Amino acid sequence: MIEYEAVGRNVDEAIEKALSALGIRKDNAIAEVIEEPSQGILGLLGSREAKVRVRPARQAGAYLADYLEKTITFMNIKGKIEIQEDDEKLEADIYGEDVGALIGRRGRTISELQYLLNVITRRQFSNLNKMVILDVENYREKREITLTQLARNVARKVNNEGHVQALEPMTPQERRIIHIALQDYPGVKTYSEGEEPYRKVVIAPC
Amino acid sequence: MKQLLEHLAKALVDDPERVEVRQVESEKSIILELRVAPDDMGKVIGKQGRIAKAIRTVINAAAVKESKRVVVEIVQ
Repeated sequence: MIEYEAVGRNVDEAIEKALSALGIRKDNAIAEVIEEPSQGILGLLGSREAKVRVRPARQAGAYLADYLEKTITFMNIKGKIEIQEDDEKLEADIYGEDVGALIGRRGRTISELQYLLNVITRRQFSNLNKMVILDVENYREKREITLTQLARNVARKVNNEGHVQALEPMTPQERRIIHIALQDYPGVKTYSEGEEPYRKVVIAPC
Repeated sequence: MKQLLEHLAKALVDDPERVEVRQVESEKSIILELRVAPDDMGKVIGKQGRIAKAIRTVINAAAVKESKRVVVEIVQ
């Protein structure tokens, strides 16, 4: 576990220094005072700075699980949360029977909640160098399959009829899935047009 | 609903103790008035209202089960 020792004129100042070095907030930290500051005699002889040792009370994954659990409870939704973490992402998956409200129309709720969780987790752990990903009942995986199929169907149509086709507005992640699905598809090219949140992918003959 | 908004706002601001939500209920709607410390206004609104928009989306998702419209107002 990462620990950090810091000194300061008083205990609070030393703790602040350690917190900023660790990139965590006070609510997520355990601080231990190693040495109380002392004035010394006449503020000269034997004066000593405060010394503290600070470590994170929990890791970002545990924080995220706990925060999300409370969030869905306040939303009156029952679900089980699983956390998976690797070098690139911190992923929370929610499973349950009535979790559909967390997805929303065209995945709007899941993507907005994911955005909030990114902002919130990063506020607590400013050193977090990975994306927070939220998934609900494997929605993202299912959506990826659906979008890939859609992309191929429309590409076939563009090839047959020779006309440009625009898809419905999508989030940046979803547009990326379409671009990747068709990057090696013969006879068509893809690009995005329009402004967020109405930006959409266009499939054109080439 | 009130608790959900407090939970979200408190995690975004520097001064959670000054987060306050007042719930005003009428026949057709629930208005949630969110107050935070002046320095924290930007933290709950975000660039171009991005955070406020996300908060409203999550509150609306929770409000689906209520028969009323839920409106979040961020007040000074």
